[in-house]
Amino acid sequence: MTDVRAPETDPFDPAAEPDAPPRPGAASPAGGGFGLADWLKWAWRQLTSMRIALVLLFLLALGSVPGSMLPQANNPSAVQQYFASHPALAPWLNHLGLFNVFAAPWFAAIYLLLFASLVGCVVPRTFRLAGSARTLPPRAPRHLARLPRSAEYATPLPPAEAVEVAAGVLAGHGFRLRRADSASPEPADAGTWVSAEKGYLREAGNLLFHLALLGVLVSVALGGLFGYKADRLLVQGTTFADTASALDEFHPGRLVTAADLGPFTITLNRFDASYIASGPQRGQPSAFDAQVSYTEQPGGPARTGHLAVNRPLSIDGAKVYLIGHGYAPQFTVTDARGQVVYNAPTPFIAGPSGNLLSEGVVKVPDAQPEQLGFTGVFVPTAVDIGGTLESVFPAADNPVVSLIAYAGNLGMDNGVPQSVYQLDTGGMRRLTATPQILQPGQSLKLPGGRGTITFTGYVPWVSLAITHDPGQLPALICGIAALGGLLLSFMIRRRRVFVRARADEGGTTVQVGGLARTDASGGFEAEFASLAAELRTACQQGRHPQPEGE
Amino acid sequence: MPVNVALGHVSNAFLIAALVVYSLSVVAFAGDFAYGRPRRAAMARGQQAQDRAAALTAVGAPGRAAQAPAVPEAPAVPEPADEPAADSMPGFEVPALRAIREAGRWVLAAVALSLAAVTAHTAAVVTRGLAVHRAPWGNMYEFVTALTCVAAIFFLVVLIRYRAWTLGVFVMGAVVLTLGLAETLIYTAAGELVPALQSYWLDIHVTAMTLATGIFFVAAVLGFVYLWVDRYTRRVAAGRAAPGNGIVRRLPSIEQLDRLTYRTIVFGFPVWTFGVIAGAIWADQAWGRYWGWDPVETWAFITWVLYASFLHARATAGWRGRRAHYIQLLGFASLIFNILIVQTFIAGLHSYAGVG
Repeated sequence: MTDVRAPETDPFDPAAEPDAPPRPGAASPAGGGFGLADWLKWAWRQLTSMRIALVLLFLLALGSVPGSMLPQANNPSAVQQYFASHPALAPWLNHLGLFNVFAAPWFAAIYLLLFASLVGCVVPRTFRLAGSARTLPPRAPRHLARLPRSAEYATPLPPAEAVEVAAGVLAGHGFRLRRADSASPEPADAGTWVSAEKGYLREAGNLLFHLALLGVLVSVALGGLFGYKADRLLVQGTTFADTASALDEFHPGRLVTAADLGPFTITLNRFDASYIASGPQRGQPSAFDAQVSYTEQPGGPARTGHLAVNRPLSIDGAKVYLIGHGYAPQFTVTDARGQVVYNAPTPFIAGPSGNLLSEGVVKVPDAQPEQLGFTGVFVPTAVDIGGTLESVFPAADNPVVSLIAYAGNLGMDNGVPQSVYQLDTGGMRRLTATPQILQPGQSLKLPGGRGTITFTGYVPWVSLAITHDPGQLPALICGIAALGGLLLSFMIRRRRVFVRARADEGGTTVQVGGLARTDASGGFEAEFASLAAELRTACQQGRHPQPEGE
Repeated sequence: MPVNVALGHVSNAFLIAALVVYSLSVVAFAGDFAYGRPRRAAMARGQQAQDRAAALTAVGAPGRAAQAPAVPEAPAVPEPADEPAADSMPGFEVPALRAIREAGRWVLAAVALSLAAVTAHTAAVVTRGLAVHRAPWGNMYEFVTALTCVAAIFFLVVLIRYRAWTLGVFVMGAVVLTLGLAETLIYTAAGELVPALQSYWLDIHVTAMTLATGIFFVAAVLGFVYLWVDRYTRRVAAGRAAPGNGIVRRLPSIEQLDRLTYRTIVFGFPVWTFGVIAGAIWADQAWGRYWGWDPVETWAFITWVLYASFLHARATAGWRGRRAHYIQLLGFASLIFNILIVQTFIAGLHSYAGVG
């Protein structure tokens, strides 16, 4: 039998009732007459054994590793990059679900089996705990000196009284008692011993911990079904409404539709970022602050608020987070006819080179006679280092843009959705041989009288995450319950103390024995010593109320 | 508030002083091995008591003595014998101060030096915190400094409570090594934090993680000592090593080492669990989700699972002892991997190491 996870069958309990008879189905599959039901029982017993639980725990740890080493589905561009640089390996990894480990069927199989194993272990234990809370402690063993802890003292009290005094002390400490009674197989025993037990909460804590973990899993599932997560980039001075079409990205839960979105609106009034200006940490951000105004219902009263990192805003059951920021240079484009065909701030995205050196594109589909496109780089604090522009500070102290102009077909009409941050130059010609540098207010005249583009200024933008997760609070409660259960099961020890008294010539000898089943945090030694001392004192004092009356 | 540079220098000076005094304490602990008062007899007494108790556990109970020994891995195998044996090294009965004096001059010197070093180390952490006006564990260098401080304090408590003098050379040696490496490889001057870290959850989450890591650090050193003693014992049993290795004989018994490690991890595991929960709450505040399988989160989870495996392994036949200790060392390895590799080289939301 592999199920050593049932430590509740008290191993060093001398007087424990004989263990439950071998469970049905304990036969091995090798035995004859092993039907389907026996197989199922056998499989279930294997699954709920500690050994298998241990293996599943290992697999869980091992299975998580690729999830941290390989790019995951929540970062699609990194996955694409991996595909590009490992064209032979990537498809195989993809087949194994290694780019989305935590949603992969095999990963789900591991944790579902683990939780099945856990349920199979915890539920019987719950019943057993309920049972043991009703049954009395075992009878006192005969030779208490052979227990891990023992003590002995003499008292002039008669044995029955000495035991009664000891029982009183133990009851005062919250022990459950069992006295020798007439139902004992050895009636002569009566009044010569008492058993005491304490610490049932240890097992209760252990169960609470495991059940709470189950609760965490259910809470996560709840969030996956009924929650949503959305992203939206918001340029300073603009407003957006929380509707599916207005969101840049919308990841609804399985049972969420666009109609479940809160109909609130948010306006970004102003965004400020400050940076450390000197010293070795120069350029590191020191504070972000977004001033927003919002309405919870369309047409409702507008309120203002501040949004910062670590300080989300709660609106209408959803939470809004500040998760990123950048610059949106403003451009005005006139075409060959002299008409203004583009006039807007255009969000650029910070590249990897730091200090908010950002890249972006401008698409002008309405330009005549041909569509125009620009790829650009925004440099907040530009310094010319060996012919290339670099940003030396993230604040816009010396902002410039560097543009390359294209003319031709933007390819926006062929039905394939395009990224607003990428220019498909397949159908376009380059108009400028080298990147053209513009400072605020400067214009670039396009060759061949195709018009001009003016860099009129810049505004900041922020990216917001909007989330709603109904599993959040249950997960928190379960997490705290798990921690509480863990502490109970580690700090409380289940222990038994036995007292036996026998008449000697000239008095009574009292023996005290004790054992703790598990003593993870230690300390039973000291507890037993002080308890034994207290019992001895009580016996000595116990003499006074009952003076020998002869 | 700007960083107080002068106070930062004071902190550095304290840390160097701590490093020097720690090294001296390691020398004193080693001197105890080489020239210290022999404690073999006392050890043997402790061993006897232990053998008797272990025998008791193995047979289940006096009343059932006849049944159990025949089936060594019967279902009734008890949870690891925590209680029965003598809890402590010899000398538990006498008060701590007397026990230290009785342990000899070398131990007295080593304990005194360790206390001085820990005091300087704590002063270094505190002054750093005052210099930067925040909890002084905001980057990897500060984190290592703080966690070794926790490890040293925790171990001193263990050392004195359990009279485990002979373990000092290992744990304090590891502290010196770690602190020295931190000082030479990842030193970072006192500075401000990025907005993402400006939250009181830094105090809660990272403090818990620092405490737990310091405690697990001690457990890992004990685990190595355990494996070493275990290997030696098995080699002696197989006739491949001569019995009577002077160092092993002075060390606590293998059961005592096992129990000490177990209790250390039992102490650290809830702290780690709390740290993960606090981290989840902070992640919810900062990023809008309480768990997102960010690489650092994933590895904190792996560490948690591995330490949970250790706790379960100790209650599983065939996994106690050596294998369980391999698991806890694997857990500590995953923790170190998380700090050194994942936070530095794998892009994620937790990339705050601040190591240039």
